[in-house]
Amino acid sequence: MRKVIDVVKRSGRRATERFDRDKLHASVVAACLSVRSHEGHAETTAEKVCDTVLIWLSDKPEVTSSDLRRQASKALETHHPEAAYFYNHHRVIM
Amino acid sequence: MNYFETFAVLFLAGLIHASFQLSISMLTLLSGHAIGSKTSQARLARLTGGFVAGAVLMTTLTVAFLVYLVSSVFGKTPSPLLWAVASGFALGLAVAVWIFYYRRERGTALWVPRSFARHLSERTKATKESAEAFGLGLTSVVSESLFILAPVSIAALSIVSLPRSLQIVGLAFYVITASFSLILVYMLVGSGHRLSRIQKWRETNKRFLQFIAGSALAVLGFYLYVNHVVAATVISRGGM
Repeated sequence: MRKVIDVVKRSGRRATERFDRDKLHASVVAACLSVRSHEGHAETTAEKVCDTVLIWLSDKPEVTSSDLRRQASKALETHHPEAAYFYNHHRVIM
Repeated sequence: MNYFETFAVLFLAGLIHASFQLSISMLTLLSGHAIGSKTSQARLARLTGGFVAGAVLMTTLTVAFLVYLVSSVFGKTPSPLLWAVASGFALGLAVAVWIFYYRRERGTALWVPRSFARHLSERTKATKESAEAFGLGLTSVVSESLFILAPVSIAALSIVSLPRSLQIVGLAFYVITASFSLILVYMLVGSGHRLSRIQKWRETNKRFLQFIAGSALAVLGFYLYVNHVVAATVISRGGM
């Protein structure tokens, strides 16, 4: 059975939710596609990022969404720096 | 002012307007979400085109409304008092641009209150149809009205003083100049440029753009004050 990890949302404004690998995967794929990566490359990169984040999560019962994003961004930086930049900056564009 | 001076003022005011970034930020976000959700190139072009069309239309309507308002209330020759108000507004906003147009944080976060920026961001993410994108384009201009009001009112006062046959030309000239940066980003996105490169360029040059926009507003405000207020006062007192 998969371990349950709670994700505390930004500033505590929204309710805590369960960690969802597919959601993380989709957000990394979207960041890769946004910088015009090919779909296959985006999927492979997202898989690698999710695996790295899952290892980091293995000893944690609860994380904040900001920490999760930071770890994903760090992992993405090694596989796809350009997508990492966009992933990291999309909240501070406006 | 002769025609050359009027069009030069319209050009500078248009460039200042073009350097304001809210519409460009929204267009970047809109394109990013559309490309990230595997939207086809044709659909992306419709969405971004709708956004640009909305922003251009709202800019046109805002300037045309102010031209109509000024010409109906004050006639064809704006008084020195009106010019003093417009140039004072430009000088005040120049200082505001220097101080707080961009937030002191990474990225290109703007002066917009965070809750409103979040709302605009959510709205941009949720935009799927070109009609919605058009509405978002209209909203982007209204949302930045605090800053664009200075160049827009200077443009309106300049256009009013043109002959009726040239007013449309002046209006079109201003709107094209003011929309130039938005159209450029639209073309870059449409031609397949990476958003990350566009965003990196914006982030690297944000302080320069901020300084240039503020300085240009200060120069324009000072020039108009001397040319329309001080000169008119000196002439009316028989000094020249």
